[in-house]
Order: sequence, then structure tokens, then C-alpha cells
Amino acid sequence: MRNRLSTFVTYLFLAVFAIGFLYPFLWMMSGSFKPDFDVMKLGLLSSHLTAGNYALVFDRIPVMRAFLNSLIVAVAVTGSVVVFGGIVGYSLAKVKWKGAKYLTVFLLFTMTLPFQLTLIPLYTMIVKFGLTDNLLGLILPNMMTAVSIIMFRQFFIAIPDSLIEAARIDGCSELGLIFKVVMPLSRPAVLTVAIITFLTSWNDVLWPLIVIRNRTLMTLPQLITVFVLGGEAESHLGAELAASTMLAMPILLLYIFFQRYFIQSFISSGVKG
Amino acid sequence: MMRKSGKIGLALSTPYLLFALAFVVFPLLFSVYLIFHRWDGMSAPVWIGLKNLRRLVSDSLFYQSLLNTLQFLVIHIPLQIFFALIFAVGLNSIKIFRGFFRAVYFMPVVVSGVVVTIVWLQLYSFDYGIINNLLTQFGLPRVPWLVSTDLAMPSIAIMATWKNVGLYTVMFLAGLQGVPEEYYEAATIDGATSFQKFVKITVPLLAPTMTLVVILSTINGFSLFVEPFVMTGGGPLNATLSSVLYIYNQAFSFGHLGYASALGFVFALIILAAVLIQRKFLETE
Amino acid sequence: MLVKGDCIPNYRKNHGPLLSRLILVILAVAALSGCGSGSGGRSDKSGRINLVYWAAPNPQEIQLATQLVAKWNATHPDIHVEMQPLPVNRSTEEVLMAAIAAKTTPDVCSNIWPGSVPEYARAGAIVKLNSFPDFDSLASSRVGMSYMEQFESADSNYYQIPWKANPLMMIYNKKVFRQAGITKPPLTYSEFLADAAKLTYSSKGNGVIDHWMGYRDIRPVWWQRFFDFFALYKAASHGQSFTKNGKVVADTQAVREVLTFFGQCFEHDYFPRTYFSYDPFLEGVVATEFVGPWTISYIRSNYGGKLDFGVAPIPVPDNHTGPVDTYGDHKCISIFSTTRYPLQSWEFVKYLLSESSDLELLKVASQLPVRKDLLSISEFASFFQKNPDMKTFAEEAPYAHEVDQTPDQKEIFDAISQEFEKCSVYNKIGPEKATKELVKNVKVLLDWDE
Repeated sequence: MRNRLSTFVTYLFLAVFAIGFLYPFLWMMSGSFKPDFDVMKLGLLSSHLTAGNYALVFDRIPVMRAFLNSLIVAVAVTGSVVVFGGIVGYSLAKVKWKGAKYLTVFLLFTMTLPFQLTLIPLYTMIVKFGLTDNLLGLILPNMMTAVSIIMFRQFFIAIPDSLIEAARIDGCSELGLIFKVVMPLSRPAVLTVAIITFLTSWNDVLWPLIVIRNRTLMTLPQLITVFVLGGEAESHLGAELAASTMLAMPILLLYIFFQRYFIQSFISSGVKG
Repeated sequence: MMRKSGKIGLALSTPYLLFALAFVVFPLLFSVYLIFHRWDGMSAPVWIGLKNLRRLVSDSLFYQSLLNTLQFLVIHIPLQIFFALIFAVGLNSIKIFRGFFRAVYFMPVVVSGVVVTIVWLQLYSFDYGIINNLLTQFGLPRVPWLVSTDLAMPSIAIMATWKNVGLYTVMFLAGLQGVPEEYYEAATIDGATSFQKFVKITVPLLAPTMTLVVILSTINGFSLFVEPFVMTGGGPLNATLSSVLYIYNQAFSFGHLGYASALGFVFALIILAAVLIQRKFLETE
Repeated sequence: MLVKGDCIPNYRKNHGPLLSRLILVILAVAALSGCGSGSGGRSDKSGRINLVYWAAPNPQEIQLATQLVAKWNATHPDIHVEMQPLPVNRSTEEVLMAAIAAKTTPDVCSNIWPGSVPEYARAGAIVKLNSFPDFDSLASSRVGMSYMEQFESADSNYYQIPWKANPLMMIYNKKVFRQAGITKPPLTYSEFLADAAKLTYSSKGNGVIDHWMGYRDIRPVWWQRFFDFFALYKAASHGQSFTKNGKVVADTQAVREVLTFFGQCFEHDYFPRTYFSYDPFLEGVVATEFVGPWTISYIRSNYGGKLDFGVAPIPVPDNHTGPVDTYGDHKCISIFSTTRYPLQSWEFVKYLLSESSDLELLKVASQLPVRKDLLSISEFASFFQKNPDMKTFAEEAPYAHEVDQTPDQKEIFDAISQEFEKCSVYNKIGPEKATKELVKNVKVLLDWDE
């Protein structure tokens, strides 16, 4: 009896908080379809549903272009981080050479560096290279990360050497080895690195705010930040919520379908996105 | 054999070595260079010796942003550990819907901070926000969440907890699932209450995860930018000016790249020191 | 067993070229998309010289610039000017800073904020105008040398010439004043506060104040302080500079008085601590506002005839004597060092500063050209006859001041903003302490930049 009661209380407790986590998102989505005078009501339904907020956002800011920019940057960064992370991780885990030890130490050292340290120098480099207002300015400095290399290294070490030797004897080149043998065997690591990198890139605002000033080159989160802060939304709450919904939707959809992988990635990487 | 693999290893690592040279080593050296220079990004940098650091020492906004970050951490970390622990214990004790609840709690973690701040800005609004709306319906007074100097930073800390607690919940949950059932059974035979079991068995076993939570939250706290940038602009009265926001203002509002770089350098040292101290303290406990 | 022939057979043969090709492609893309073409003028095949001119992006000034440039191009077949409006949504300073760093500045810009000139000059981005032989005669005949002084840089050169001014004055709603039985606008702090007590009230009688004496944007946005603290400081101190030659030379008595005055305005709710999503002066919700002449033309075009308002100088301390100095909100013209045609650019600048161009400035944009003979030129007289309010502003123009020609103006005004917010708006510290803090903080800045 006591056990049943405590189970009930546990479920009640968890359900209350689940509402607390869900409600703001639901409110945002329903608010994006409401006229301004209805948005601030607690209820999620309105008798005046309208698509006007979305029309206003599309009218004022180049949303599709920004979506595309974000996609280009996130895909390029993710692809590069996975490919180069795999290559370098392999050279540290499975190639016996003197430099491996030093490079590993160096990677661990760079992982401890707070980004505040290099933020300004990196920006000035981007300026010097003429890469402001250029998507490459967003891609290049994020093409490789120490964390991903180390993660791949840890994962690759567990792969038996005999497997690799067998492939080598079959005439497989080192690059072939990496992409045909080692990476396919490390799907969890690849997924973890890809998901975390993609999310980090997609959600980043600070770096785009610094590097991109031209509206047609802005990423989606940046454009929406500028839209809300710069006064173009003219305090149309519905429009602000419509813009936020458009920003959240792609990631939320991916999350709904692949939430297991998302959560597993975060647990195994131990980093915040 | 060794010579050949040496070449291969080097060749395979070359892309990263080039990358690190350009985007890690050079910026590091350049940041040291900038600390001793005044530079507006337009004219040539001017050597000014220790002036950036001297200014930093007497810069009241530097101290303010440091204190703000501390205030954030003091509220954020305990709140986060407390809720993540009870959520994890709760989730661990149920069988059906566990995956559902876990997915819901984790949802804010994956969503952009911009979305979260835009939505919470409205929830927190003093005159017509949902939270104050609810409070007045229960006959309670409205709370000046973001417009009072005393509450603005705590409000942001609460929001950040809401956003991140899911991550730490699943981490704790993973830790809990690794605890062998026998430990609890043995304790039950010894007549331990569930609270005693929690304190004596669960908490110590989760200690490594907790260390991680504290360190990640600290780094997180020092990285605070979007939240004050969107919600308060650092106000009221600089109560939510975070270290990164201050660096951003110095560099991009006032064009002081040298001074901003010096601020970044000192903040980085503080973060490193804080993480080292925490690690030492928490791991010996 | 996992891999067979589909593997790349030889590592060394393929890997090297693959990577280097990849790097090459990246570099090529970077080079192609990265190189912005400079906006500065060039001459085309026919030998015609092309100049680029950046103008402010608001509709009136775009119309003005378009007209002026069309007229110039019609009479100068050999020097073609292309007008480009500065991008909206971004401050001119931000755009110019990026352009200077990238060396893509135009030949001429007429929307230069004097506060940023010391930094442009230090970067070598703008041309010494006094290197043109006829600069002195133009400056003294148009502006007058004593007025020019506040635009002189620390190295005794002129990198800018003032084009237009918007002296700040107080407009007041005559109807609201009459209803409260007040017959004349307040001139001193005491008069202002006494009138404020009558004009701040709750119209519904429920104690919730919904009409105020005035309002200011209370967010700590540095340039907002031009239109409250700085203007009143210039009035209270008879135009005393804030900083000079790396020293704080501010009249601290005046600083204290201004902070105290605004402190009283906010403390007694004469100024609300909120902001409006509509124009409260036009709605009759606030009785006064500190504005430049651009507001007058705005009111006239949107509320023509419906609003009965008067123009008066901004308030001064009770013991004030003499004329009322104010903030001038000047915009200047500069020539950028990237120009290949400084002489031709200078000719164009002189054209922009000519009497006929200035008449267009008055008529099209309702803004005051900076000239000492503003009220005596007969062509201008008919304009002022039709626009008596503009005449009031024109009479105030000789007392209009600009920010100091020292670097870091933005940050100095940010420091002012911090103390204004702390002391006047929220009353967390007294004026005495705020003044001391302000002087100390500005000193830290100046020492750093010395």
C-alpha cells in the first residue's frame, strides 16, 4: 500500500515538472499563431488563430536564407569535424609513432583553454583574412575540435589491432582503413561527435554576431536575435514567437525522432551543447 | 617499420597540426601580444605595457561582472544538483514512461539558447508575463523578475537551471543505473531507511558525476552571453553584466580590442584556477 | 574480410594530392568570396572620375542627397558622383569602422559623428582638410573660427567640417500648460520642478499616475545621454568641455546640479521609469520633451495643426545668467584617405557646403546648416518666415556644442550613462558620490588611452 502511494506521488511529481518543461514550448508554438492581444493568456487555445505572425516574419527578414546559411555552416563543420577527427584520432590510436604522445598531451591542453582567451585574437585573424561577412569565417575556425579527436582516439583504441592488420594485408591504405574499417566500427562515437557538433554549430550566436554583419549571411539564431533585439519585430510578440518557433522546430523535430541518440551522445561526451 | 609509420602518423595528423597552428597557437600568442597593446582594430596596435592590466585592476565593471558570475554560480550549481538528483532518483524508481519523462526533461538542452531566452523573457515580464499573471491569480504580489537589481541575476540562473537540468538528470540517471542492486539490498538487511541509503550509497557513488556537473556549470557560468544579451542587455544597473558580455561590449561597442583581449586573458586564468580548485577540493572529499 | 578491393589502393599516391587539393579549393573559395571590392572612387575608360559619397539613410536625407548629386553630375561631366545611403539598422560608426579595417571607405561621407573623428584620424583613415589651401577661408567664412575650434583635433588639424546641427531645445504642449494655469514655459530648474508638480497627475483619480512632465529613455544607452545629461550640462556649465588633453576638466558643480535635477524628476515621478511604445508627447501624455529641430518637422508632417506647442530653451540652474548653451548634435563631412582624388572630393565637399546646397538642406530635410550667416542670408529668410519654430532653433544654433575631440567618447558617455542610471534614475547613490565616481572612471579611461 505504502509502495503504491509512493509510486503515485513519484509520478505526480514527475508529471508536474514535465508540464513545467513542456508548457513554455507549447505556449511559444500556440502563441506564434495568435494575434498579439491573445498571446499573453495562459491558455494555449485561441479563437483567432492566424498565420499573420509568420507572414510578418517572412516579410521582414530573410528567414529561408538564414536557415540555409545555418544548414551550410552546421553541415560543413560537422562533416569536417567527423572526417578530420577520425583521421587524427586514428593516427593517435592506431599508428605507432613518436609524436602521438606529444600530440595527445597538446590536445588535452587545448581542451582546457577557455574560449574567452582566444575570442578576440581569432576575430582579428578573421578580419585580417577578409573573412568577415563570409560563411567561411564561421566554418574555418570550427573545422576541428580537440574534444572530437580525443573521443575518436579513446574509441579507436578499443578496436583490436588484428582487425586492422588484416585489412592492411588485404592492401587497404590508411585512409581506406579509417573510412572503411575503423569508422564503421565506431558508429556510436561518430554519432556522438556528429550530433554534438551539429547542435553546437546550429545553436551558436556569439561567433556569428561577431563575424557576420550582412543580413543575408546571418545564421538563423543570429538573425532572430537581431530581429527581436533590433526592433524590427516592433514588439509584435506573436512575430517574435513565430521566429523562435521556426528556430526551434528543425532541432525539435530531429530530437523527437532521434532522442535516444541525442541523450546518449550528451551522456557519453560529457560536454554541454 | 617505425620510420614508415612515423611518416604516416605525421601525415595523418598534418591537417590538425596546420589547423592548430592557425586557430589555436597563433591566437594564443596573439592574445598575449594584445594584452600589452591598445588597438581599435583600425590603426596599428600601440604598445602600452601594463596599462591594460592596470586599468583592469581599477575597472569597477570588471569586478562587477566577476561578482555577477559568482552570484550566478552560487544559485545555479546547488539548484541544478538538487533538482537533477531528485529527478534522476524519481526516474530511476519508475518503470513505465521513464523514457518519455527523460525525453521531456532533456528537451530544453537541445534547443537554442535564443529560443529559451525569448520565451522566458515573456514569461518573466513584470506587467503582463505568464508567471506574474499566475501569481496575481493566487492573490500574490507580482515579482520584478528581470527589472530589479537583486532578482535579475537569480532569475537568469533559474532559467539556466531549467535549460540545463535535463542534461545533468540523464547523467545522474546513467550513474544510478550503474549502482549494483546488491548494495541497496545489503543496506536494507542492515535496516537502513531509504534516506540513509540515498545519503550513504547513492550520493558517494554519484560523486564523480557531481564533480563533472560543478565544473561544467562553472565553465557554463563564465560563458553566459545570450541570456543577458537578449533579456537585459546587462542591466539593470549592470546586475546581469556577464564576463563574456563585458568582453563583447569592450571589443565591439567601444572598439577596444587590446583591452578586451586582456579581460579575456584574466577571465580565462580565473576560470582555470576555479576549475583546478574545484577539482582538488571535490576529488579529495 | 571487411574490406576488399574498393579500398583506395595506395595511401601515399592519393592522400597527399587529395588533401592539398582540398586545401586549395578552400583557399580559392575564400579568396573568391572574401575579397570585397573597395568602394572608393576610380576612373573609367573615358577618363571620367567617379566618386563615392555616403549619405545618411533616412528618407529626407536620401531625397536631399539624390537631388544634390543629380545637380552636381549635371554640371560636372568629368567628375561623376555616386550616392550610396549608409545601411539601415546599423550605426554609421560601426559601418565606417568595418570599412576602415577593410579599406573600403567611400571618398566622401556627410554623416560623420564628431565623437568618432579622433579615432578615425588616429587610424589615418581621414584626410586633413586644412591641407587644402582654401580650407581656412571656407571654414572662417561659413562657420567662423571660434565655432570651428570645437572640431579641431588634438594635433591642431581639422579632419572634419561641420555640415549641419540640431541644437537641442525644449518643446512644451501649450494646451496642457494652459489647462494647468501656467502661462509661460519654465526656464530654470525650480520653475521646471514647480510646473512638473502641477503637470504630473493621475487623470482617473485612482492614484496611478498617467500624465507626466517629461520622459527620457532610461536604458543605459550611451548616446541617449546627449539628449538629457550632456545638453543640460552644457547649459549649466556655459559650454565647459568635459575632457581636454587627456585630463578631466569637467565643471563638477554643473555635473552635480544636472544629476540632482534629473534625480528629482525621477524621484517625484515627474519622469516615469518606463518606456512607451508610442510617442507620449504627441499623445499629450507628457507635457515637455527635449528635442532637436528634426522633431518639429516630424510633428508638422504627422500632426500638422493638431498639436499646439511652443519651443523654449532647455532648463538651467536657478542662478544661471547669460545665453543658454546646449548640445548641437552636429554631423560633419570628411574625406577618406582611400580616395584617389582628394582634390575632386574636396570640390564636391565645397559644393555640399555651398549656399544653394544649404538652402536645399533647410527645405528638403528641415535641418540647420552650420553657418554663421544662417539668419542673414536673404534666400533663407523666406524659409524662416514660413517656419518660425525653425527660426527659434536657428537662433539657438550659435550656442550649440559638440562632444570633445578626445578618443573614447563612446565609453566616456557610457560611464556617464552608468552614473546617470545609478544616481538620477534609481537613486542608489547621491549626486556627490556619482560625480566623484564619474570623474574617477573617466580618468581611468583617459590614463589608459594616454
